[in-house]
Amino acid sequence: MEEKELTPHESMALIQSMIGKARKRYSDNSFFFLLWGWIVLVASVGHYYLSTFTDFEYPFIGWSLTIIGAIVSGVVGARRGKKSQVKNYTDKMYAWLWFSLGMAMFTIVFNGQLIGWNTVPFILLLAGVGTAVSGAMMGFRPLQIGGLVFWILAFIAFRQPENYQMLILAGGIAIGYLVPGYIMKANFRKHGV
Amino acid sequence: MGFNQLDPLLHSQLRLAVMSLLISVETADFVYIKEQTESTAGNLSVQLDKLSTAGYIEITKQFEGKKPKTTCKITQKGVDAFDTYVKEIQQYLKP
Repeated sequence: MEEKELTPHESMALIQSMIGKARKRYSDNSFFFLLWGWIVLVASVGHYYLSTFTDFEYPFIGWSLTIIGAIVSGVVGARRGKKSQVKNYTDKMYAWLWFSLGMAMFTIVFNGQLIGWNTVPFILLLAGVGTAVSGAMMGFRPLQIGGLVFWILAFIAFRQPENYQMLILAGGIAIGYLVPGYIMKANFRKHGV
Repeated sequence: MGFNQLDPLLHSQLRLAVMSLLISVETADFVYIKEQTESTAGNLSVQLDKLSTAGYIEITKQFEGKKPKTTCKITQKGVDAFDTYVKEIQQYLKP
């Protein structure tokens, strides 16, 4: 960039161009949607299968995968943050949104016994909030549609027994996390955006 | 208002570019600023020092492994100065 005397018009144009450069469209966060999508899908289908077709004492065993998911998410998120050359406010908001929702989900599941293990509808609602808001922040419609699907499924889940709630959760996660996650990944591979 | 009354620290192509970039993000490192402003390392270093001395930006130098990493962040004083500059420019551009 050469140093020269600026006219007011040039000043304004320069400001606009630099602000435009800094405004990032969105990051490729597909890794997190795919990681959590598969964890929840395996755990919920496993839960349904074990509690419906077997006498296994711990049908919820698959949910222990969430501990691994939390550790992997934390490590990958921190590493990406450290590696990135620029810290955007949207990335920060995004990280805090999902961290807060994760804490809320953990609190609901941890105290599940107190609400008769009727946890799935609440998890669906929280996942819907995260998905819809992330979709709006990124301007990425598949996630916004996912958010809507979570909300509708929560309505249905409130009226179903725990077993079927697991299947509803599996369906919700497939539409709300996995489908948008794979679309996002393909978009980044194709266009880098 | 005379055009020469504009904040001389901001009324310079590279420094204004740096400030416009930093006002949009939380922090940005030296390499990113250099790439986005298409400047040379030497010139950018000098201009960043000027902005830092004026208290418009904060520069943090640390090591990531063995590689030095310089991170810049706009200060409140910098935000205020930038706002004033933009208002003055807008005033000047008014028909």
